[in-house]
Amino acid sequence: MELSRSAGVPSAGVALIALAAAALPLVTRDSYYLDVATTILMNLTLTMSFRLQVSTGQINMAHISFMGIGAYASALLVTRVGLSFWATLWIGPLVAAALAVPIGSVALRVSGPYYFLITFAFSEVVRLFFNNFFEGLFGGPSGLVGIPKPDRLLGLAFDGKLELYGLMAVLCVGVALALVRLDHSRFGLTAGAIRQADLLAETLGVNVFRYKLTTFVLGSFIAGLAGVFFAHFRRVLHSSDFGLEPMVLLVVFTVIGGTGSVWGPVVGTILMTIASELLRELHHYEILVFGAVLILTMLFAPEGLVALPGTARRLLRRLRGRAPAAAGVGLAP
Amino acid sequence: MLLELRGVSRRFGGLLAVADLSMTVAGGAIHGLIGPNGAGKSTVFNLITGVIPLTAGEVFFKGERTSGLRPSEICRRGIARTFQATTLFREYTVLQNVLVAAHLVTTPGLASALFWSRPYRERERRARDRGRTLLEALGLGPVASQVADTLPHRDQKALALTMVLATGAELVILDEPMAGLAAQEKAETTSVLRRLREQGVTVLLVEHDMKAVMGVCDTVTVLDHGVRIAEGTPREIQTNPAVIEAYLGADEPGA
Repeated sequence: MELSRSAGVPSAGVALIALAAAALPLVTRDSYYLDVATTILMNLTLTMSFRLQVSTGQINMAHISFMGIGAYASALLVTRVGLSFWATLWIGPLVAAALAVPIGSVALRVSGPYYFLITFAFSEVVRLFFNNFFEGLFGGPSGLVGIPKPDRLLGLAFDGKLELYGLMAVLCVGVALALVRLDHSRFGLTAGAIRQADLLAETLGVNVFRYKLTTFVLGSFIAGLAGVFFAHFRRVLHSSDFGLEPMVLLVVFTVIGGTGSVWGPVVGTILMTIASELLRELHHYEILVFGAVLILTMLFAPEGLVALPGTARRLLRRLRGRAPAAAGVGLAP
Repeated sequence: MLLELRGVSRRFGGLLAVADLSMTVAGGAIHGLIGPNGAGKSTVFNLITGVIPLTAGEVFFKGERTSGLRPSEICRRGIARTFQATTLFREYTVLQNVLVAAHLVTTPGLASALFWSRPYRERERRARDRGRTLLEALGLGPVASQVADTLPHRDQKALALTMVLATGAELVILDEPMAGLAAQEKAETTSVLRRLREQGVTVLLVEHDMKAVMGVCDTVTVLDHGVRIAEGTPREIQTNPAVIEAYLGADEPGA
């Protein structure tokens, strides 16, 4: 929020991410660290696109399903049809976005808890579909295996961790740039207005349904993009990769950082992905730890970790008896 | 006629909140809608602006049917409103509130927002300038960069009015624009309403302050229990026996 003072600042933030991503290979080329970093960037793409929808007040519990749709679409188009990864990198997200139009049109007729439930139900349908239907195609419970790495592009082979990391970094920075610009534009301003008072926005001439559908479809496109990368990075797909547990983690990552600005998911995802690696020993119990962290965040920093400095500053100002600071989202006045 | 209601009804369960209401609002006028509590005034506003659907009847604006349209579409046709409980985008600054309201006048495209092209930035600059001009006109210039939630009540009311004007509406519907204001502030609001009329903006308002209503309105419609019981100039309304009865109640025998 505090970062939205001028138009230059948001782009500078993305440049910082890009710089950090570019600097990592100079520090270490250890395949484990590259793996973790790639996962962070992939998760970041997901949480940022999830937050895009939160910005209009939607908690889309089917977000991970659109990642799955992109992943399965690309995996099948490459292995069965023989398309190049570089083609499916676009086709996968487009498939996810195309399916998001009718699904969003139905789900967005309701809001609040009903929206949460309807999207959750949809995500379960998608997961069960990948798990139980067309076993010859989706691989059933044993998963879809034998997905190749991305093929060569412009003489570059994508068979090492470093190249895959580089590819994900480029995708993630591209997505971040687009989303940051959107957030700081009139579109982002209107989206935030819808979250604060949707009826007021509607009576002022904002077609709330169309705005929500646009963010739903755009968010699904980006989730599909992350999915395509995921398929060719992990090279095996299980329906549970797109089930409730990863979806809950996605929500936790986003909420812990804060949904007030695009920087919340960035902070939340980086911290929590690293935490998840450190807690690897705990296996499935790690979600207990995450749950506790989420509760603590909700109690003591409901606007997320990124809002803490601003809250502290306002508190200090109040203690000194000065007027509360302006903390607007979106356009600089 | 700028606005026309034909046989409009609204039922909430067993309650007929608005019953077969027909009324017209003339262009360029300040039209008051009054009545005792529960008369259905706010419901009428919600029906005109599409916030709730009609049970029966039709609404026409500039000769075109608007009942059944989305509120945003009705606003696009030229009707904007304030809410009784002053509603704002509380986390946003005053100027940001106005920019959201000016959405229709300066439509931001998704693609142009993504690429921040020169025409896009130019349009943004113009939108901000226009917003500032409006705020200056309503005396909110000095607080333009303050967060809406931190404004005093009087400024919040003024902001809600500014936002309605920022949509470029020809008909503005105000739900109790004077509520909670001091005498001096009411006088200011009255002069703003008169200025709007001079500029050709039509005003339809619900207000409990009878002195203000009678002082500023050209025409007054009186509702009681969802039924129109009188309409006329303020002078006619003040002497109408049906109106007096509705407000004071019929004399009980032996009382």
